[in-house]
Amino acid sequence: MKGFSKMAYPYIVWMVIMIILPMLMIVFYAFSKSGNDVLTFQFTFQNFVRFFEDSVFPNVLWRSLKMAVATTVICIALGYPCGYIIAKLKGNNQAIMILLITLPMWINMLVRTYAWRGLLGYVELSSEARVYVGMVYNFLPFMILEIYTALSKIDPALLVAARDLGANDFQAFLKVTLPLSLSGVVSGITLVFLPAVSSFFIPKLLGGGQYVLIGNLIEDYFITSGDWNFGSAISFIMAIIILISMYVTRKLDRTAKEDEI
Amino acid sequence: MNKLAKILLAGLLVAGGYSNSGGSASGNTEKETVDAKEVYGCNVINVFSPGEYIDEDVIPNFEKQYNATVNYDLFDSNEMMYTKLQGGSSYDVLVPSDYMIERLLQENFLQELDLDSMENQDGFERQAMELAGSFDPDHVYAVPYFWGSVGIIYNKNNVDPQEVEEQGWEILRNTKYKGKIFMYDSQRDAFMIAFKALGYSMNTENEDEINKAFEWLKQLDDTMEPSYVTDEVIDAMINGEKDIAVVYSGDAAYIVSENEDMAFSEPHQGTNHWIDAMVMPKDAQCSGLANAFIDYISSYDVAYANSVAVGYTSPNAQVMDELSSEDGDFYENNAYLPREGYDKDEIFHYSEVLRQELGFLWNKVKN
Repeated sequence: MKGFSKMAYPYIVWMVIMIILPMLMIVFYAFSKSGNDVLTFQFTFQNFVRFFEDSVFPNVLWRSLKMAVATTVICIALGYPCGYIIAKLKGNNQAIMILLITLPMWINMLVRTYAWRGLLGYVELSSEARVYVGMVYNFLPFMILEIYTALSKIDPALLVAARDLGANDFQAFLKVTLPLSLSGVVSGITLVFLPAVSSFFIPKLLGGGQYVLIGNLIEDYFITSGDWNFGSAISFIMAIIILISMYVTRKLDRTAKEDEI
Repeated sequence: MNKLAKILLAGLLVAGGYSNSGGSASGNTEKETVDAKEVYGCNVINVFSPGEYIDEDVIPNFEKQYNATVNYDLFDSNEMMYTKLQGGSSYDVLVPSDYMIERLLQENFLQELDLDSMENQDGFERQAMELAGSFDPDHVYAVPYFWGSVGIIYNKNNVDPQEVEEQGWEILRNTKYKGKIFMYDSQRDAFMIAFKALGYSMNTENEDEINKAFEWLKQLDDTMEPSYVTDEVIDAMINGEKDIAVVYSGDAAYIVSENEDMAFSEPHQGTNHWIDAMVMPKDAQCSGLANAFIDYISSYDVAYANSVAVGYTSPNAQVMDELSSEDGDFYENNAYLPREGYDKDEIFHYSEVLRQELGFLWNKVKN
């Protein structure tokens, strides 16, 4: 085992370079004045004050969160029955269904979203509804796969036992299947909520540019405005929100796991 | 079964990660060179240009003629180009717009071109030279690439041409066309329109005028349900998705040539006249070949091919005259020939203050 753990070192180096360092740079930029480099660092809260002093940015943040929550809820509502049905299928059919669900994902998300642009061109929909269609479409497979995985892990004997002890189908589902599948729902939430809250190209492509979300703001401040400090501050605020939501889902996950035992 | 799902999931996460990295420069195929390497000491140049801005044969022909390699990178906007340069990317030739060249010059980023080594620098159109002269008075830093204006393209079947001429930019706030408008999603162009519609200079820094322009755009956003777009507008208008759109003249020339229901108008309140030009950064790695490239693009044949392929107005006077004459590709296509000498038309100047303030306000408009 000792020999194996050494194999993790390259990965740790990789993580430091590709994940930790960029994060530190974002923190550095977020708390410094524009035009500064490492040598002339001037600490400031100005970027954060600027974010909250006008209602524009908090509004965008609020809208992004609402949108991500709604997307997640819709994905659970659609993904749970879907995952349930697949888990009930025979072995081979399960494999085929899972293949069908993952098949579109072999094509890049951006390309598929472009395709939706064309499709939605034929329907009268508000830009908000278009963005929702794109979000749910793109993130739903993650939810289905997670829920399906959790459901298919459940030992069928438990259901038999529940029926044996007098539960009807619905009660057995409520008392056995649902609690045991919650961990799948929780990891599905992580996989849907996090990318949904920071998505920027879906609202850009499908919302006709009318629908600014927090991801668009970050992109805008880094690329168009070239204001990396303010862009970093927005990213930092986002990172905090994501950390909090990850903490909450972890908590949920743990309670779900405890219920299993 | 779980395993299968996990493997598939892992696979697509990896695939997603890769696809995000996007396409960068093509590889350096070091051919044995005769010309470029002997004459200039190097045979690879990196060119950074807006997308869909060149005839597809131009680069291969140049590479053949000079036995050289051209790494041709594309950018979406001048701002994106600037950000990438700040990130430390090194290029030999850039093709930015007027105000961005002005900024790069202010920041002492560009080097003078070796005009003595060039042969095709005579035949430029007068107005193109005038535009370039506004930021490069001695004509030593920049060689014109394309030029044009910004205007309104509209569907003649659904919008009365007379109405467009009379109302100019105000037609964008005419509620008769609610939900049928494409607005250009760029703070610069949006505020230019508002400033001009209100009779101000597009380079104003007057707070009162900026606020009025903001209100103008805000009202447009509130009442018209506009779609904010950039390059997608070209295909969308060719397909006739909406009735009215704000476009660059070159894109309009292309749209009109593809869809004869469309017509172009330069609003009477005045508009932005702009020019994109080739410049060379100070840290160019192969300046000799870069000068040769700039001159090659300026030649009659290449200028002709580019203008036909893209639809933007050529700065080469002969090319422009021929393409707009009776036998040319853009005969009676008024978008190809931006109006001359109209005193309300202006060129953009770079202003750091304005850029930051308008960026914020533009986000506010769209909310």
